[in-house]
Amino acid sequence: MKIGVYVCECGSNIASTVDVDKIVEEAKDLPNVAVSRVYKYMCSDPGQELIKNDIDEYDLDKIVVAACSPRMHEATFRSVLEDKGLNPYVLEIVNIREHVSWVNSDKDKGTEKSMALLTGAVHRSALMKPLERKKVGVIHTALVIGGGIAGIQAALDIANMGYKTTLVEKTSSIGGKMSQLDKTFPTLDCSQCILSPKMVEVNRHPNIKLLSLSEVVAVDGYVGNFKVKIKRNPRYVIEDKCTLCGDCLPVCPVIAHDEYNQGFSPRKAIYISYPQAIPASFIINPDDCLGIDPLICTKCKEVCGPEAIDFDMQPEIIEEEFGAIIVATGFAPYPIENIGEYGYGTIHDVISGLDYERIVSASGPTEGKILRPSDGKIPETVVFIHCAGSRDPSKHLPYCSKICCMYSTKHALQYKHIVHNGTAINFYIDIRTAGKDYEEFYQRAAEEDKVIYIRGKVSEVLKDGNQILIKGVDTLSGETVELHADMVVLATGITPSEGTKEMASLMNLAVDINGFIREAHPKLKPIDTAIAGIFIAGTATGPKDIPDTVSQASGAASKACGILSQDELEIEATVAIVDDSLCRGCGMCAEACPYSAIEMQVINQYGHSTRIAYVNEAMCKGCGSCAAACLNGAINQLGYTDSQILALISALGGD
Amino acid sequence: MEEFEPNIIGFLCNWCSYAGADLAGTSRIQYPPNVKIIKVMCSGRVNPMYVVNALQQGADGVLIGGCHPGDCHYSRGNYLARRRIAVMKRLLEYIGIEPERVRMTWVSAAEGRKFAEVVEEITKDIKKIGPMKKIRRENIW
Amino acid sequence: MVDLKNLIEITKKIVSREDVRYVVGYKKGTYGFQIMPAFAYTPEDAEDFIYSPVCSKNLAVYTILEEKLPLKRGEEEDKRKIGVVVKGCDSRAIVQIIQEKGLKREDLVLIGIPCKGVIEPKKIEKMFPNQTDLIDVIENDNSEYIINIGGKTHKVPKNELLSDVCKSCEFPNPPLYDVLLGEEVEITEIEEFSKIDELDEKHTEDKWEYWKRHFERCIRCYACREACPLCYCKECMADTLNPQWIRRSVNLSENAAWNIMRAYHLAGRCVSCGECERVCPVNIPLMELNKKIERDVKKMFDYTSGLDEEEKPLFGMFKPDDPEDFIL
Repeated sequence: MKIGVYVCECGSNIASTVDVDKIVEEAKDLPNVAVSRVYKYMCSDPGQELIKNDIDEYDLDKIVVAACSPRMHEATFRSVLEDKGLNPYVLEIVNIREHVSWVNSDKDKGTEKSMALLTGAVHRSALMKPLERKKVGVIHTALVIGGGIAGIQAALDIANMGYKTTLVEKTSSIGGKMSQLDKTFPTLDCSQCILSPKMVEVNRHPNIKLLSLSEVVAVDGYVGNFKVKIKRNPRYVIEDKCTLCGDCLPVCPVIAHDEYNQGFSPRKAIYISYPQAIPASFIINPDDCLGIDPLICTKCKEVCGPEAIDFDMQPEIIEEEFGAIIVATGFAPYPIENIGEYGYGTIHDVISGLDYERIVSASGPTEGKILRPSDGKIPETVVFIHCAGSRDPSKHLPYCSKICCMYSTKHALQYKHIVHNGTAINFYIDIRTAGKDYEEFYQRAAEEDKVIYIRGKVSEVLKDGNQILIKGVDTLSGETVELHADMVVLATGITPSEGTKEMASLMNLAVDINGFIREAHPKLKPIDTAIAGIFIAGTATGPKDIPDTVSQASGAASKACGILSQDELEIEATVAIVDDSLCRGCGMCAEACPYSAIEMQVINQYGHSTRIAYVNEAMCKGCGSCAAACLNGAINQLGYTDSQILALISALGGD
Repeated sequence: MEEFEPNIIGFLCNWCSYAGADLAGTSRIQYPPNVKIIKVMCSGRVNPMYVVNALQQGADGVLIGGCHPGDCHYSRGNYLARRRIAVMKRLLEYIGIEPERVRMTWVSAAEGRKFAEVVEEITKDIKKIGPMKKIRRENIW
Repeated sequence: MVDLKNLIEITKKIVSREDVRYVVGYKKGTYGFQIMPAFAYTPEDAEDFIYSPVCSKNLAVYTILEEKLPLKRGEEEDKRKIGVVVKGCDSRAIVQIIQEKGLKREDLVLIGIPCKGVIEPKKIEKMFPNQTDLIDVIENDNSEYIINIGGKTHKVPKNELLSDVCKSCEFPNPPLYDVLLGEEVEITEIEEFSKIDELDEKHTEDKWEYWKRHFERCIRCYACREACPLCYCKECMADTLNPQWIRRSVNLSENAAWNIMRAYHLAGRCVSCGECERVCPVNIPLMELNKKIERDVKKMFDYTSGLDEEEKPLFGMFKPDDPEDFIL
């Protein structure tokens, strides 16, 4: 074995506090060192040439460079090795700049420390082995989970880039929460009008397969090669045959609450959520229908001209493979029932923000007239309470739900536009208008449309005859406030949608303390998850408005396409490796692995079925947590093996 | 008599503490040269037996550095390390190894100053208690 | 008191089953207070089975000791079950091994014995040294051991001979068994394993003086490892040469490293049967190390080993709020 040692002066950066000539001389006496040199700038072209020439001349097979941090130039020197046909992983960098010369001015001590580090590196270098960057194939299809605006945007972007995409939606129609909104801030354009063209595009797109009423039930595999099981629940109406003629509606004897209209209007057991729903087909809700039993009632089936109704539909499991997955499972409003102090549930005219969206919507139960639920009268005073459930760490959600300031302002503005002489009052803690044109929107509401803003928290909401008595404090004047309103709208916050946690655990994704899916890095990898090939978009990761959601969805789509566009993916070289002869199959490594990259397999060892840990190299990220968990070193990390680290310890210890 | 200069081995994770130590360097923060760093990808890689081995092989102290809780590049390696080191540290203290000799710290990539302070502190502490002799390996076979 | 007839009857029944290979129990030793492991392959073999307060050995170790020799082509694996007589701690060892997937529950038939504690061999041998004849020991209802030596009957208060680990035992009843011989033992009083606190309060140097004295005497025979039902790695880290974690030489440094490693590797796994200490030829108080870790692990992570087959390994998981007062 021949090791070449190269010490960099880095101008005077290293040489001024480290006696480089001395360590170069001493390095010559270290085991296996064939050549040891110093140069002013090792990373420069002449410096690199120096190493390249030596590789040829001395037939070197390992290189040790003592210079700056490996974070600076490890890649540079690796390519030097590669240029000369050496494996890039037989390079060892000794950090004598950031860790020695720049932090210490005593030349003797600096030289001594550098020498110790260099000695360790040479000893470790002797134990280094060439590593292989393996490659795995890629399946060129994507899965998008969740058919809200995030999922729709992501699916469309991927499909438009030419890749087959499967969009899985739990409910009977895509569109998500955005489809229930009347208008969107700050432009006040109609939510449905900007959303439905996208929904139609999803339906028509040749690259998109839409699975409504479906749930992901199992996810296996790794980046480029996910194996997914999707459970498809029966619609009991054949999508392709249904013409939306509605002949079934008058004959259905069942009346149920219409979820789309927040229960403010009735629907039948056979219904379509809303006219623009995609897939454009009726559905029979099996919980409402008289039992999906032709013996009890077949009225809809009898009148259905196209024979679209099929009571015999069964749930089915679809198995498909995907190269990348986007999780866009969205949010659920904070359960308003939890906020008892604001009178919801006991006072009829206390409603949630989403209730208000339906009431104010032209397609809603009141056809856009603002009528209060209790008596159908036009409310003369409406109070909007911000942060209903948000920013309340003691009782409710600790975080800011981000969109409520804006949507309450929008609600107040809409009210003023419809009920011109009415009074709209907002109770707020802070007004947060960080977004393009958001502040202007708020100013317009307050100044042009005379929406009243009171800074303070509401303490009590009480029924007072036909009216509602609101008690609170105006924290700007310090005075208590008592006023009467005809209707109260609570700006409920954002929580992870039901099933987010289960979905995350299916894919081994982490969730944060509030139950939102955790991103790989909150700042620099907000779209990635800890699992390669799985990305997140929209409110599944935390409160977001529509523009942020859509941008994140497009980001996730482009990240996914970054994978789908490859034929092969290069995987981490410093992965875990198992010594079958030592492994006793206890699985402690598998438990320690953050990526589920270790699977316990039963193999035949000399006739005995034996449990052995198996590392899926495509999933392993090379952290080494498994190696430290193993009781007898049966699993190791390539590039950081126990032997190498113990050699380093020995050299640094000085024994 | 020459002053005792402790020899301390530091296991630092690549993503946070090692980067923090780099930042101390680029910020030119001066600190004692006693800690010699071994880079590992994650503090979760640190087998607590490395600590014992280091104390045997001439280290007067051991420092383990990881990302702050919740910030681990591998999401949980630092939490696992915290458990393992907690048990090993208490065991070593129980058999009479000074608690000052085995230290763990969370240093983020932005905490160059903190890294330097940690090094100052442990160097000072170990100087006070003197060289590790108890389980040090005598180089005889 | 375990009904011996019942034990033999049940063992016979189990051995007679087609899906059972053998049952491991206790039989009389050759002299003094000795007992031996007994392997009943046939109902007749079971006639030798005994159970008495001197049956301290943890038989769980025999479930994992068997060497799996390479099979010839065409030869089938013997998938029959193994029967084991288990006390509380033995059963916990089995639970722990099952948890670590070293055994499958369906590979075992467990004859559970509610345990009133065992006699520490070293104590009884000290009280009645140099016995050449086989001696019976019986426990009466007054917490006394009845010991018959050469026609003379000795009554010894139980506390004088009881193993120290048994005095602080919280789990005398087997958590896992197929048949239980007799009524479950009621847990009346548990003595704290107070030696740990005594030492914990001492000065660092005194602690070291204490352990140095013990570690210096270690002859690295590894009897502690061999007797332990949970030391069953294919090759121990103390034996590997590449890397060499611990040198072969017998000196304070390596001995200390070995003893630290042994104790650390049992963290969250040790079931406090006390076998390691019992077999130590130089009387190193190994259980004090094990108990120290057991207590730390309970206090810091609320973790107890050997009770739940589905529990996850201590070091394979974490809680975000695990203690970190020691972190700078």
